Amino acid sequence: MSQTDSELKSEDTASEDVIRVDHFIRGKVVEGGAVHYRSRDLGVEFATPEIDLDQLVTPRSELPPLLDVKIDEIIDFLVACGERLVLEDNKYLQQALELIVATNPLPRRVVENLFRRAQHFLTTEGLRCSIDTNFANPAALDRWVERVDMNGNHGALRAFPPRMIHMLAGNSPTGCISSIAQGALVKAINVFKMPSSDPFTCVAMLRTMAEVDPDHPVVQSMSAVYWRGGDERIERTLYRPQYFDKIVAWGGGDAINNVIKYLGPGLQLVSFDPKTSISMIGPEGFESDDVIEEIAETAASDVAIFNQEACLASRFIFVEGERDGIEKFCEQLQERLGIDRDTSSEFAHPLPVETREEIEMLQLMDDDYKMWGTTDGRGLVILTEDPVDFHPSNKTANVVHVDSLDDAIRFVNVATQTIGMYPPDRKKMMRDRLASAGAQRVVRLGGAAKHVMGGPHDAMFPLQRFVHWMSDEDA
Amino acid sequence: MVSAAVERLTKLAQSEDRFAISHADLRDAQAEAMNERFQDRKDRIKLLGHRAKEGSISEIRSREDIVPLLFPHSVYKSYPESFLTEQKWDRLGKWLGTISPHPIAAIETSDIDDIDEWIARLEAKGHYVSASSGTTGKSAMLIASAADMDWTRGDTVGVFSWGSGVQPAQDRRMFGVGATAYVPKNRITAEAQAAAFGDPEFEPFRLPVPPITVGELTKMVVLRKAMAEGTARPEEIAALETTSKEREETLEKAYVIAAESLVDARADKLFIGGQWNALYTVAKLVREIGYSAKDFHPDNCIYVGGGLKRAQLPDDYQQFVHHTFNIPPNRNFQNYSMQELNSGMPRCQKGGRYHVPPWVVPMILNKDGDELVLHTEGELEGRAGFFDLALDGRWGGVITGDKVSLDLGPCACGNAGPTIRDDIARFADLEGDDKIGCAGTVDAYVRGLS
Repeated sequence: MSQTDSELKSEDTASEDVIRVDHFIRGKVVEGGAVHYRSRDLGVEFATPEIDLDQLVTPRSELPPLLDVKIDEIIDFLVACGERLVLEDNKYLQQALELIVATNPLPRRVVENLFRRAQHFLTTEGLRCSIDTNFANPAALDRWVERVDMNGNHGALRAFPPRMIHMLAGNSPTGCISSIAQGALVKAINVFKMPSSDPFTCVAMLRTMAEVDPDHPVVQSMSAVYWRGGDERIERTLYRPQYFDKIVAWGGGDAINNVIKYLGPGLQLVSFDPKTSISMIGPEGFESDDVIEEIAETAASDVAIFNQEACLASRFIFVEGERDGIEKFCEQLQERLGIDRDTSSEFAHPLPVETREEIEMLQLMDDDYKMWGTTDGRGLVILTEDPVDFHPSNKTANVVHVDSLDDAIRFVNVATQTIGMYPPDRKKMMRDRLASAGAQRVVRLGGAAKHVMGGPHDAMFPLQRFVHWMSDEDA
Repeated sequence: MVSAAVERLTKLAQSEDRFAISHADLRDAQAEAMNERFQDRKDRIKLLGHRAKEGSISEIRSREDIVPLLFPHSVYKSYPESFLTEQKWDRLGKWLGTISPHPIAAIETSDIDDIDEWIARLEAKGHYVSASSGTTGKSAMLIASAADMDWTRGDTVGVFSWGSGVQPAQDRRMFGVGATAYVPKNRITAEAQAAAFGDPEFEPFRLPVPPITVGELTKMVVLRKAMAEGTARPEEIAALETTSKEREETLEKAYVIAAESLVDARADKLFIGGQWNALYTVAKLVREIGYSAKDFHPDNCIYVGGGLKRAQLPDDYQQFVHHTFNIPPNRNFQNYSMQELNSGMPRCQKGGRYHVPPWVVPMILNKDGDELVLHTEGELEGRAGFFDLALDGRWGGVITGDKVSLDLGPCACGNAGPTIRDDIARFADLEGDDKIGCAGTVDAYVRGLS
């Protein structure tokens, strides 16, 4: 062991009780230690710097640093930063990884894999594609574009950079990369509010970017800080239209309710709502052993994503078809939930106590249900006639046997995000009714985590909602 | 069934010195009594038998052994909500059967309209179901037996009398100013107090509001579910909003009537009962009418039931209530208990600590509640677990959500039995609520019913 290694190690041991969380303010790192918090998921203590609120607000008298930087240049910069996101070579990511495993329920290996895939979020094609699908005329991001209406009135339009607060989600450490990219693409002045389950990755990303070019306008437009969600002193002060145009938030419940209090004229919320995803499998899935094997694998990959901590992870699988085949499917699904994958591990955390009790009760009630696996986090499949009451989590799938998939539509609601379907041609037959019920995305079974680039999220194109559409009119 | 140790310990309820017995003197008898309960119940409470089998537990020799068999609160709400919303009474009865040691008697369910009727029919067969008020979520349903109701009668009087120094001399006018749920446990508590402390010449004052039945409480739950599923019609929601607004107005008027009646009775010796928010509201009204401590009898007492339940009150609410009704300092009564137990732990005047009676076995568990923390003397903080040996109609082992400090040594008041410090906190309140993520349920899409 080299000397630096042992030094690092002894420092780690010394600070084992309280983890230091650094902030990043428009290109500069502010070292943590002053304010102590406890992380939400795992109850770990960490200490951030004191927040200087003035540093987080850019007066409206200042033009946004990215205003005159062309989109192409921003994309080039983001891609150059993406190339530095190689876990083996990037000390910031390495440090973040060590710290995240202490505060986040995701297993270390999954976080490692997410970091290894991080650079794929920042490719020229991907970034370009989201610009092209979000904006009818992407040139409006770079300059004032002329337009003429049918009466011959002239005007000009600019997608002007907004001032934004991003409330980052805590369940996927690399989710902040998309938020950073979105903030950069709309040329915004950005404040990222980090979650307690990962107050590290966003700063690690921004430090990586600062290493590429500390004075780059993208870097100068970004700050990442932690405060406890709901902290009135900070939120009451900051959440004002004089300071920010948009708050982008993930999640629901208290996290959103805290924000809603401060909305009003001039300060808008763009929310990525909390979602549940499901699967639907028609009778064709249970007709032969080969197909059962195939759909058990694809369904398992949809259920297990991020050990089911993600919105796109399937939780209820509605099935239509012959009982024997369905039971075979359940058995194989359970086996495959226990497989190590890139974004899931053999063992998730055991199920929460309340859920374990409801499952126990199901066993004691001698109902028409069947169960494969246990509540140990290694994969559990529960076959029932009606969906269970609890929220399946930690790699649990509730397979619901319905007479017809049409009957399953009534279980689709405004919180339903992704529906994985087999056979895929069912999508066409059902997508209008699913959209009407509230769903926002139908995919092939096994395709929950695969995306057609540049697609909408939460049934909207977010970038065009972020910008401040400024109009110059000569009517 | 010989339950010598259980009997010995529960009989102490009659003793004046019940809180004077030290932990060291109780330890073996309590372990023996828990084992008696366990042996008698393991084949009768289905869930207990299941847990014992899973944990390969065949005997309770010490407090360690009971830990895996303590039931959390959530056990009492582990029924699928659809049993309620779709009125599957037989299924709900079957569910009760998994947590009751006494077989649930067959009742006719085909013509039952609502849960109140179901509960009434069970009561007629000797099953007393008290449901908690879950306005936003599921109600917990705690089943008890006639023996438990008898125990409640004695315990509530004993606890209050010991903690407040008020003798059960039938010499007080009874004022119930709280809007409590109309469930067997609350009803019987009120009856027993009135019988023991109430002057039979006066009709006890009850807050003049329609009874808040379990059916009323679950209407909210049922509608909430329909709202989440998107099947609730706007008119239904509007109607419920109107009803709850009317109920609120009725309640406000009732508080005024309570305040006026208290003022009228100010010369008499009073026993005032209610939750803190009701007591505070009424006290404020009394002050507004122009009366305060100097106008009330100098030996009044108050009985406070339930916690704050998220009510927003000023910091000095207790003082304010005491000062309004002229409650002498030595009548300051506080009690630590919970729905899952059937016995109270009164606070002593001198030491200011909650005293655990000999038939309740207190335990300090680790934060997760799955291990007993070694504790042989002195004070220790952690998650509270209890075994109420007096419980008959359900399992007495309870794991709480409370963070408490338990002292096995003697209290400043002179009693040698175990005590709990007066700074109980809920783990749920200690932990944050700033979790944020993209995964979630439709519950987040239901705007609360006011």
